[in-house]
Amino acid sequence: MEAYIAQGMHGLAYGMVLFLVASGLTLVLGMMGVLNMAHVNFFMLSAYLGYQVVAWTGSFWLALLIAPLLTAGAGILMERFLLKKVHAFGPMAELILTMGVAFIISDGVKAVWGTQNLPLSPPGSLSVLVNIAGVQYPAYRLFLIGLAVAILLLMALVLYKTRLGMIVRAAVADAGMVDALGINVPLVFMTVFGAGTWMAGVAGVAIAPILTVSPGLAAQMGMDAFIVIIVGGFGSLGGAFLVAILCGLLSAFGVQFLPQYASVLLFVFMAVVLAIKPEGLFGEKES
Amino acid sequence: MNILETRSLSHNFDGLRVLTDVNLNVLQGEKHAIIGPNGAGKTTLFNIITGTYTPSQGKIFFKDKDITGLGPCNIQRRGMGRSFQITSTFDRLNAFQNIRLAVLSNRKIRFNFLRFVDKMTDVSLETIDILKRLNLFDDRHFPAGVLSYGKHRCLEIGMALATNPDLVMLDEPAAGMSAEETHTAVELIQRLTEGKTMVIIEHDMDVVFKLADRITVLHHGTILATGTPEEIKANEQVQAAYLGRLEE
Amino acid sequence: MKRNLIWTLWAAGVAAVALFPHLFGVYYANALILFAVWALFAVSLNLLLGFTGLLSFGHAMYFGTGAYGAALALNHIKGLSIVPAVIIGMIAAVILALLIAPLVVRVSGTAFAMLHLAFAQLLYVLALKLRSITGGEDGISIYPRPDLNIFGLLRIEMNDQNFFYFAVIVIAAALSFLWFFTKTPFGQIMVGMRDNSKRIGYLGFKVTYTKAVVYAVSGGFAGLAGAIYALLQSLISTNDAYSMVVSVYPIMMVMLGGVLSYFGPIVGAAFFALIDEWIGSGQFQQLLLKLLSLLLPSSLAQRVSDFFQFEMILGLILVLVTLYWPLGLAGFIALQRMRWQMRRVSGGPQRSAT
Repeated sequence: MEAYIAQGMHGLAYGMVLFLVASGLTLVLGMMGVLNMAHVNFFMLSAYLGYQVVAWTGSFWLALLIAPLLTAGAGILMERFLLKKVHAFGPMAELILTMGVAFIISDGVKAVWGTQNLPLSPPGSLSVLVNIAGVQYPAYRLFLIGLAVAILLLMALVLYKTRLGMIVRAAVADAGMVDALGINVPLVFMTVFGAGTWMAGVAGVAIAPILTVSPGLAAQMGMDAFIVIIVGGFGSLGGAFLVAILCGLLSAFGVQFLPQYASVLLFVFMAVVLAIKPEGLFGEKES
Repeated sequence: MNILETRSLSHNFDGLRVLTDVNLNVLQGEKHAIIGPNGAGKTTLFNIITGTYTPSQGKIFFKDKDITGLGPCNIQRRGMGRSFQITSTFDRLNAFQNIRLAVLSNRKIRFNFLRFVDKMTDVSLETIDILKRLNLFDDRHFPAGVLSYGKHRCLEIGMALATNPDLVMLDEPAAGMSAEETHTAVELIQRLTEGKTMVIIEHDMDVVFKLADRITVLHHGTILATGTPEEIKANEQVQAAYLGRLEE
Repeated sequence: MKRNLIWTLWAAGVAAVALFPHLFGVYYANALILFAVWALFAVSLNLLLGFTGLLSFGHAMYFGTGAYGAALALNHIKGLSIVPAVIIGMIAAVILALLIAPLVVRVSGTAFAMLHLAFAQLLYVLALKLRSITGGEDGISIYPRPDLNIFGLLRIEMNDQNFFYFAVIVIAAALSFLWFFTKTPFGQIMVGMRDNSKRIGYLGFKVTYTKAVVYAVSGGFAGLAGAIYALLQSLISTNDAYSMVVSVYPIMMVMLGGVLSYFGPIVGAAFFALIDEWIGSGQFQQLLLKLLSLLLPSSLAQRVSDFFQFEMILGLILVLVTLYWPLGLAGFIALQRMRWQMRRVSGGPQRSAT
């Protein structure tokens, strides 16, 4: 029983981080119609930057603050100087461009930091075990869940209580709307893109102590994040949240019961959902 | 005899009622116009009849067969062709290729991988013939996307007609045209639909009265009146609806 | 006159290919086969991307399945000749395409691309896990290369030189077929679907079936390219068959050569083969190092030149091409030609304001 609770918590923690990554991806996709193939590479880049900050300053907290901001800056530069220019050529060009950026980041990371696994240890105060209902559980994972929930609440607050949030939601629902609203569209796009990469950046630093920093990080998280937004439905935050948690649990328990095929389970899940509902669980039908 | 008939057709979009209890009859061989103020549900009615949406309630009969819920493709194959209010051509293909696709459809050439399409002489000849009748022959090498607005609209209408349908549905064929272009388009439509059944949505009353044998007035998603142009002109309800709109 | 010229060019081309292994040796003969494999792979992808408007981020699925199909058939069926092996690879890819088609024909655009990324990754993971069948990262070998055996009447040993002729003939035939395919009435419907799939439906063509057929053809020929690739390398591993970069290769070739043209991707494949050779042989690194040494201290120059590994260059090319050369070489040429024609016709139709 205790093992199940522990696995459940593991799954929950991973699911929350997955949602942090996927929500930025799905927001940008819903609002700008751009699927950023490099999104998870930003996630990985942030983990490396976090590692570097820790190596220089020794402070995990500083890393958690600085690395995501640097990552968001890189994301904004990419939106401003690359994506915007190819927007006129249509979604194919945007996909291919972001794919190119993905390759550049992942190879650049290898060139700078090498291919070995780099450890990033959690701050001392969090590397203890806490007792929850008789189960010894690492405090860091609890912190991770708390952090993800905090960001989630922040995002919900911005989305539902501010003018910017209103615009973003309107734009996700109907891309044509934004132009009619008479607002500074490029600025809103840039903000959303920056916020999306920032969340991926936070996720990258936050999960690094659990997964270690390695060039495989992007691929590992990438597929899961893409599956989350496909299954959840393009542009649907609620769908992404639900599916991210489900994916987290599925992979955690999959490792427990079917260690060989844990990674395949998610794909099977995706194929089943798509066979029934090709637009994803909460997606809207293409007209 | 009715070629097209809708029976108590109703439609909702996300709970918003767009059409209520629409009973439309189109007789074999007639030119039928659907008019009505903006937002009356004309294009929705068109889209439901041609298979874009499945109606929330009610049935559609085409040539006495129930076609409710069939997709655009199957409805077209039963002999109903349509054009669009917002020009919808193959913009990177030239005018010849655009019309040729319609001709291929008419000849049921679909999964043919065995011949060069350029060497299908009969198809090419028919396409050229249609292009000439559309006055597009000289523009046949230009991609549809670069044609002038009037010519682009002609191509749009021409594609609907080139499939040689038993019933052709034209959604505001003269939308956005200048007076002169409209005049040409009306002549063109008259010439090309001779002896055919046509349903047309149109705002321009001159066009309607020139083309239509019968008119249906749609208002707030219901049919206000159906009748000959004279009857419609004299109908008080119709006048009220149109005048009411002017006062708003 | 013009006809004669074309025939002469044809004859010269055939003679050049026939003499190629004698003139340049096995190494360059194999390089030419590799180019042909990439060309076929790129054209098969472009059938979807350029002619139907569908971007597949997972075409390695079909390439890899063709490669594994042929390799597994040769490993498990004793005395199998080369032609049935290649056909088995191709059929395996077609079957996979037909299995996946129902899931992907209903979507287009970004969703289509994403689904392919996911399915290709699934196949990659599966192939890695099913080590007993696929050999995982080590792969499975094809040795010796099977003979060409035509009903026992004719038996040709597939040494490097004969395999060169076999591969070139098969791929040339495949490319000719695909060219013809785009010129059929079906090919027209396919191109119409790229421009406006809604209208294709309203013209009475079934969009989903049409997509499925294009999809199966594209998958099948990618599989054929994969099968020839496996025979050329005499070895196929999960990374060579199914990994992400394999899906990106043909996209890059298509972008380089020109997405809207049939022959563009073939030229793109030539570019790619040259770049691949240039980097693979280390010449690019040496050149870069030399250039950088002129500007920077040697240790820094070394570090900077190390920065430009294969995938980095791949990424840079993708970014630069989409930014500055979105229609590829073919688009560039077409644009110049159009300008020239416009100057001659003077004017042409002008779209009036709507």
